[in-house]
Parts: sequence; C-alpha cells; structure tokens
Amino acid sequence: MSHDPHHAHPRDAEEGPPGEHEIMSRAMQELLEEKGILTAEQVRRRMELFEQEYPQRGSRVIAHAWADPAFKKRLLEDAKAACAEWGLDLEADRLIAVENTPQVHNVIVCTLCSCYPRALLGMPPTWYKSENYRRRVVREPRAVLKEFGTILAQDVSIRVHDSNADMRYVVVPMRPDGTEGWSEEELASILTRDTLVGVAIPRAPRDADQPTGRAA
Amino acid sequence: MNRNPADIGGEHAGPIDTVDHGLKFWEKQANALRNTLTSQKIVRLDELRRAAEDLGERYYRLAYFERTTEAMRNLLVEKGFFTRKELEEKIQAVRKRYDP
Amino acid sequence: MTPSAYTPAPQRRFNVGDLVRVKRSDPPGHRRTPSYVKGKEGTIERVCGSFPNPEELAYGFDGEPKRVLYRVRFRQKEVWDKYEGPDGDWIEMEIYEHWLERA
Repeated sequence: MSHDPHHAHPRDAEEGPPGEHEIMSRAMQELLEEKGILTAEQVRRRMELFEQEYPQRGSRVIAHAWADPAFKKRLLEDAKAACAEWGLDLEADRLIAVENTPQVHNVIVCTLCSCYPRALLGMPPTWYKSENYRRRVVREPRAVLKEFGTILAQDVSIRVHDSNADMRYVVVPMRPDGTEGWSEEELASILTRDTLVGVAIPRAPRDADQPTGRAA
Repeated sequence: MNRNPADIGGEHAGPIDTVDHGLKFWEKQANALRNTLTSQKIVRLDELRRAAEDLGERYYRLAYFERTTEAMRNLLVEKGFFTRKELEEKIQAVRKRYDP
Repeated sequence: MTPSAYTPAPQRRFNVGDLVRVKRSDPPGHRRTPSYVKGKEGTIERVCGSFPNPEELAYGFDGEPKRVLYRVRFRQKEVWDKYEGPDGDWIEMEIYEHWLERA
C-alpha cells in the first residue's frame, strides 16, 4: 500500500468505485500509520495470514484427530493446548472442540456478533455473520440445517453452541465410512469449513480412490 | 425491552443466504486493520463490539463491514486517536485519489 | 504452563452439574448474556475459568477482578415455546457467574 498520493490503492477491477465505508476504512488506516500507531506492513502481514495460513489449519487439525485417536482425545479435553503441542499457535482464540457422534450433532453460532475461531478457520462465511443465521439457528437448528442441505435423522440430538463470550468452537465431525486408509491430506480435503462449523457433514465420494471434496 | 441491537438470538426471520460471498479486498484489509489493533491491545474486541451496539437502530441498516468500520471510527475518535475533523480531511484526500 | 483455554477459578460459586438460573435483568450497556436465556434454568457443563469482565473491558476498564465464566447447558424445549425437535436437543453457551443464581 503506497503512500504516494498519486498512486491509487490496490483494488479488484470488478468492484466498481469505492464506497463510503471503503474510503473511511482506508483513511483510518492511513491516519493511524501517520501517527505511528501501526504500519502498513503489519496490516499487510495480517491479510496474508488470513488469506493463506488460517483457512488451511482447521481441516488439517481435524484430519489429524481422525487419524490419531490419542490426539483427538487431547483435542476434546483442551483444544488450544493440543493444537499448541502440535505446533499451532491459535493466538487469542480459546478453543473448545465438540465432537459429533451417531447420537449428537453440533452446530456453532455467535448470536451477539460473529465470534469464530479465526486463527483456526480464517474469516467466517458471510452466512455465519448474517442476522438471519444468528437469529434462527438457536431456535430452529433443524430448519436452518435443512437450508444448507443437511438433514439429520430424528434420533440424532442437536447441540447448538452460542459462542457468546471468551471461548471459540470447532466441530469434530464423524469420520465417514469409505475413508479407511486415507492419508491425512485426503481426510483434510473432505473436512470443508462448513463441516467444521456444523452446517454440513463430510462425505466420502462414491469412487473412494480419489477424494474429490472441495474446500469450502 | 431489548436495548442491545445485537441481541437477536431467537428472533423470527426469513431464509438464510447460504452462499458464502467472501470478502472484497477492502474488507480483507479492514479485517486485518481490526486484527492488528486488537492483537496489540490498542483497542479491545469488547470495545469494538460495544461500539457496534452503540450504533442503535443504525446497526440494522448497515452491512457487516460497514458496521464494523463505523464502530471502529467511533471508537478511535472516542479514544482520541484522531478527531472527526482529521478523519474527514483524510477521507477527502483519499477520495481524490480515486477521482482526481 | 500449557496454553490452555482454562484459567483456574478456585473461588467459584458453582461446579459442573449444578442447576442454575440466568438472572432476569436488562441493564444498560454491553452484556454478553443473550436475552433468550434470561430466566431459564440450565446445568453447569464446565467451568471455563476466570476472565476480565467484558462488561467493563467494553468501556476501557481493565475488567479486574476477573469473573468466573461457565458453560451452561439448557434444554431447547425449556428455552423456546413450541420448540420443534426432540427432548435431547440442547443449547450451550458461556455465562458469567454474576448472571447466575442457584436454581
């Protein structure tokens, strides 16, 4: 981000002219830089972390939990400590991992704002931050899951976790049949972001030779 | 009585747009700005949440990053990092770069 | 010290399994207790530990002394009128100690 006044800021060409809030945000950042509160490099570095580093972590951690039952046990007891031992610093996020079983399905929300384990999953999806998700998933989780194409058997209980204070949550889905012998990389490929928030369930593809799950 | 516009859990509402529309470049940068400030405890996440709630009715009229940007602005002015006037001047300067 | 989510709370009032009720109170200012559980009874699912009070942090204070935070589990059928789902459906969230009373 150059401070040359004649150099326009980097933007995506398709976005159209900058709106009021975009300009406001850039102006605030520049003022803070000028006042020595932060540097453009610090902000740029954070953008990089959110773009390249954080979004990959969740599926890797949960894939490792699927592959290593002892790690999974530690993850369920104290997720932040288990991640730290594994070499993952979750910074400020205090993580609780909740496990799906044949009897229990978990889904995460922050009704009061958009708390989300960003250092593990990256930026929350727009639907997670949306008012309608925040309003409805606590009261009618089955109807909401259905909107995501996820239908649970009636004998499965749902637990909704409202991450309204200091904890952050990640779902440990059930490992599907047909993934026996898969590498952690292959397992991670079906652990989409939506499965880690609880609105989707990981699927092993029908032809089990090549995993084709796409990252959300 | 529900004073807090963010306290919406359980309200009846329409369908959810289940597609993830992602973030525009400026939103990614705004998020990184927020994260830089909170990780260094220059502002606290709790203060930002409260500043968003202080928007009152306006909370519902703004999209997510518009809301967080206005909350950030109000908080930074409140805490004395810059004045509204300084920000306005900087906004004009930034605007000129896009539309000289 | 392992970077755990848990900080000890030896002075705490409640323990896992205790029946508690969320206070019916609607004070002004920043609160992290959602309205939908006010007045409802639940069970302590875990003691999260002690944290600076977010109600104070929100206004630039240091939030000390720390307050004990619990995860509380509620039956959905007890939270909502006409909840559509089985009895085993729960909702869980974190509630600060000063919002709880013994049920």
